[in-house]
Amino acid sequence: MAFSTPLPERVLPMPISRVEVTPKQSDGMRDVRGDVVRRQLMADHGIDVTEVRSINGFLIKSTVESEEISKRVDDLFSDPIIEHATTNNLLLASPEYFQNTPDAAITIGFKPGVTDNPGSAAYDGFKTIFSPKNELEDAAISTYQTYVFYGIPENTSVEWIASTLHNNLIQRALVSDSEACQQSLWPALEYPEKPPQVFSPPQPINLEISDEELLELSDSGLLALNLEEMQTIQAHYRDEKIRATRKSAGIVPHSPTDVELECLAQTWSEHCKHKIFASKIHHIDKETGEDTVIDSIFKTHIMKPTHDMQNEVDWLLSVFHDNSGVIAWDDEWSICMKAETHNSPSALDPYGGAMTGIVGVNRDILGTGLGARPIANTDVFCFGPPNWEGDLPDNLFHPSRVLRGVHAGVRVGGNESGIPTVNGAIVFDDRYIGKPLVYCGTVGIMPRQLADGRQSHIKTPSAGDIVYMVGGRVGYDGIHGATFSSLELTEESPSSAVQIGDPITQKKMLDMVLEARDAGLITCITDNGAGGLSSSIGEMAEYTNGCEIDLAKVPLKQPGLSAWEILVSESQERMTVAVKVSDCDAFEAMANLHEVEATPVATFTSSGMFHVKFGTDTVAYLPIDFLHDGVPQLQLESEWQLPKTEPFLPDLLYLDGDADHSTLLLRMLARPNIASKESWVRQYDHEVIAQTAVKPFVGVERDGPGDAGVIAPLHGNPHGIVISCGIVPRYSDLDAGAMAAASIDEAVRNAVCAGVDVDKIAGLDNFCWPDSIESVKTPDGKFKLAQLVRANRELERVCRAYRLPCVSGKDSMKNDYGAGENKISIPPTLLYSVFGDQPDVRFTATSDFKSAGERVYLVGTSKEELGACELSYMLRDSGETQGIGGQVPLLLNPEKNLSMYRALSTAIQNGLVRTAHDCSEGGLAVAVAEMCIGGRVGAEIDIDGTGKSSVWARLWGESLGRFLVGVQPEQETEFIQWMSGHPITYLGEVTKTPTLIISDGYDKLVETETNVMVDSWQKTLDMTGGVV
Amino acid sequence: MLPPKVAVLFGFGINCDHETAAVFNLVGGQSERIHVNHFVDGTQNLDNFDILAVPGGFSFGDHLGSGRLMGNRLRFALRDQLQKFVADGKPIIGICNGFQVLVKTGLLPGPSVESNGPDFIQTASLTLNDSGQYEDRWVTLEFDPKSPCIWTKNIQRIDCPVRHGEGKFVMPSTTDFDALSENHQLAVRYVDPSTEIGHGITDEPLPFPISPNGSMRNIAGVCDSSGLVFGLMPHPEAVYAKWLHPDHTRDSAPGPNSSEVLGKWEGEGLQIFRNAIQYVLSQR
Repeated sequence: MAFSTPLPERVLPMPISRVEVTPKQSDGMRDVRGDVVRRQLMADHGIDVTEVRSINGFLIKSTVESEEISKRVDDLFSDPIIEHATTNNLLLASPEYFQNTPDAAITIGFKPGVTDNPGSAAYDGFKTIFSPKNELEDAAISTYQTYVFYGIPENTSVEWIASTLHNNLIQRALVSDSEACQQSLWPALEYPEKPPQVFSPPQPINLEISDEELLELSDSGLLALNLEEMQTIQAHYRDEKIRATRKSAGIVPHSPTDVELECLAQTWSEHCKHKIFASKIHHIDKETGEDTVIDSIFKTHIMKPTHDMQNEVDWLLSVFHDNSGVIAWDDEWSICMKAETHNSPSALDPYGGAMTGIVGVNRDILGTGLGARPIANTDVFCFGPPNWEGDLPDNLFHPSRVLRGVHAGVRVGGNESGIPTVNGAIVFDDRYIGKPLVYCGTVGIMPRQLADGRQSHIKTPSAGDIVYMVGGRVGYDGIHGATFSSLELTEESPSSAVQIGDPITQKKMLDMVLEARDAGLITCITDNGAGGLSSSIGEMAEYTNGCEIDLAKVPLKQPGLSAWEILVSESQERMTVAVKVSDCDAFEAMANLHEVEATPVATFTSSGMFHVKFGTDTVAYLPIDFLHDGVPQLQLESEWQLPKTEPFLPDLLYLDGDADHSTLLLRMLARPNIASKESWVRQYDHEVIAQTAVKPFVGVERDGPGDAGVIAPLHGNPHGIVISCGIVPRYSDLDAGAMAAASIDEAVRNAVCAGVDVDKIAGLDNFCWPDSIESVKTPDGKFKLAQLVRANRELERVCRAYRLPCVSGKDSMKNDYGAGENKISIPPTLLYSVFGDQPDVRFTATSDFKSAGERVYLVGTSKEELGACELSYMLRDSGETQGIGGQVPLLLNPEKNLSMYRALSTAIQNGLVRTAHDCSEGGLAVAVAEMCIGGRVGAEIDIDGTGKSSVWARLWGESLGRFLVGVQPEQETEFIQWMSGHPITYLGEVTKTPTLIISDGYDKLVETETNVMVDSWQKTLDMTGGVV
Repeated sequence: MLPPKVAVLFGFGINCDHETAAVFNLVGGQSERIHVNHFVDGTQNLDNFDILAVPGGFSFGDHLGSGRLMGNRLRFALRDQLQKFVADGKPIIGICNGFQVLVKTGLLPGPSVESNGPDFIQTASLTLNDSGQYEDRWVTLEFDPKSPCIWTKNIQRIDCPVRHGEGKFVMPSTTDFDALSENHQLAVRYVDPSTEIGHGITDEPLPFPISPNGSMRNIAGVCDSSGLVFGLMPHPEAVYAKWLHPDHTRDSAPGPNSSEVLGKWEGEGLQIFRNAIQYVLSQR
């Protein structure tokens, strides 16, 4: 162990000291934490509390006596300039600080064993000051908050307020209501002592049981394995050869140990093995009569096309097999990207789930090749409507609370890690109430060649290398995350599947690992995510064909974990790193400097075995090929039939032909799917690293929508990278194939708006699907699987046409809540992310109109495609129209689009176009409105020349392959020449008068002042409750 | 002449170390990112450097108050090295979290003019923004032309991003501010961009978001009485080039029209770092 502290002598249990701190109430000071609670109650629930004050509490378990602590309180726990503190008292009991009797006091702390980041930081600072000798082995600081309420409206239950302030899965709350406060009965949380963990020695599990019992075993053990998989495991242990080798290895010969069974369940989980994407699908299309077999969607539609492209270009360095896909960016640097979902944990604990999502995908980048540096984050969320007023199923949070929690988790995770969030989206649909989708992506960069000559994207482990676990310790948190995410959410979903990230521990580890990489000390690295050590070491052991792990060496958060728990726990902030024996001293010294724990826990071998010991006992002995390739291929049925949908007929609304498009525009701008997300996005650091050349919000007031993020990561050099995304789940209601095509096209269009080099872009496919395996729980499984087939066929067709390789991806296949009639399944959702080369960030474009007189063009063609458009959902939701059906936007000729995109992108790169905006949800009307908002100008637009389709389609339709661009008059001629051969239509020009006028020939359709549009666009999602 | 050596601290959640090192290099410095513990364990000594930069970030997660725990590490483990560094008249800058660290160690605003070097007693603080939110947004800053601050010479007004949740500068009483004001230690303030350049500074609290945090007297940054130690919440390193300014796609990013390193693309923030390098060179 690199970080050794001598074991202290066991002493009698120490008293626990309490420190409480509260902000001073003097001139110009305010209790901001209290204010935040007050404003949230107002914004989310319309409850107006007069005043809320806050207290931060610390419970210190240490040999250092209270008296000593009391003397140094101002050096550590409180800031004497702005705060009062007290030791071993409750501040509430002190009239000096709390003169008036409150109406309520609520104290919230963590449950035992839950990650308490402020507590760990406080204990770190505590050690700096006190350097305690003979400290307790389990010395620690636990934190809590007390909120003190004055002026609670009548009929507002204090218990209910408390329920909005904490998540009882991970936190506990104590409440003093008005009566208790009158009697000075204050809430006083005690130190959350962890219940002792009972170590149970590895047990053999008898598999010589009936099929029913096999399934029962899988269910009750949360193994998430089906009968065929259980039978495959059963057969393995019946094999006489296997029994013989097991006997000689000294492990129970004819049945698996619990360690082995858990290890197989993790490794074979849907989460880790992507069994649906790898399955053999019998696909029937009732429309066309097609009847075929697809042997793995992944190999057929994703891997094959990308490998074909890899043969044609020299910049695809590493695809699919590593933690992220790597492309060459210039001669010296390569870049990589990965996106992940963290849906189930975010449903249970939005804050912790989302935070582990973002810091987890950061580790995927750190675990790419020999280690890449994360330099940009993206996040895309799908939630239920934040203003939802309908019923909520048991155990599910209100969408506004999910939004707040997820946002806070991603904000803290990204900001504290020093990685800018440069791109993202938030999508709303009722069905995401059942399962929110939380996509987190990260872009990384690494030098293509290390000082020792090795290519950084290639891992180089050898048998004999020592395998370290680096970073955090292993605890009871995060057991069964991988298998749990492969099941639907229920009321009984386990709390151990939830973890809270610790960005600072991870940041220290990241700093250290990158130094070790540059010093040439790393031969192999991967992160510990789903499946814990069993997956991380198991996957790396494939390189050398074997490993030997000693679980007894793994440092634990608390003693008593059983062997299988240590092996599969998904405790956060851990990397698994292989180091040559000769480099171990240097590696450990580096860990010491950074105060990062690094423990050798395994050795690579070439034995062909995944060999796990606990001390001297062998507790698992699995052939590497059985572990990784033993899982039987699923055989699934898929059947496509066009869903019956009510058509969208907007004309029926306005039989006199006099539609009020101005009002519709303001209503559309206020739709959550279109409305500004600025108040949320601004809370992400999008500029750390000093590289962000196009920020999430653009324009005069820096509040217009950005299409893509653009960064120039080499300081002093304007060479750039574009990061963008596309997501259009609405279209799945008509055709998931069209949904996939539209998502990819949107991501590419967004990148084109920033001037990406369309010949050097790579993509990531992240599928989130409802359960697609036909069963009693999922009677429509065949249809849902057919949706997946169609989505992937479109993915292949469009990506081949765009020459857009999918270099990495992920799927999350059980996004359902409940069962039967009350089952909620998400709409099939593909997030497509794009990262690509931007030759020079000084020549890029943004969506804001730049100046009066700017000439406005439509690039691309509007068609009669109103099916599943945002307008149709708005009018259906309000009951004004009935259906959303009709022609969904199609990508009929993507090859032609690519050539048009290349022309537009190079026009931007050559400075001909400084204004470009993707035309997507809400169509042309919304796009041009957003451009006026960004520039705080008006425009006079005529859509008469945009084809023969209906006014509705030309104004609100979402036909793909379209942009709105602004061109300075003096560059107009050159622009027209540059775009020759491509469909462009002159629409009008930008006006100084801040009013948007849209006409169709002589008919004026829209006339709206820009500031009114700003108002509609910005109000809906501003849920801060107002600043100051 | 040898380039001035700049120590850029990193470790424990400091995040802006790479760009802070880079901007010093762009203006002729020779910067090195050095882990805090290398100064503590004696592998490195501050004495070997001409300038110290404490970059932005989230040291120790900002738990127990931003900059607090890192401030304590410096206060207790690097006290002597820091004392000598300041006594030797070497410039120090703290940006964002680095400013919070310097305030919490007591190096900023520092003891009165008459004292002999730093006393490591905290006299001011940076606390939660009035908005209760961490925010990344651009602000306009104006500098006190009479300030002794060596970092801010010849800079009038710049645009800059702030990225913090705890940037409200507070001191216990108005007399504290009056003393600093008299010494022109209130080196940089948030100003209304619509005011005339040179006339933006006011003691009256400006509304959100012109003042992003409700800072007393709109203070964005302060220097010590010598003008050598300087800290500010906004990030001048984040606008070292015009292409990082939000207006660059509107062809209206402000900044010098020519520079040795970036031609017409130098951003307004770079001058702060150049000032310190030139100061060190001028003292040789």
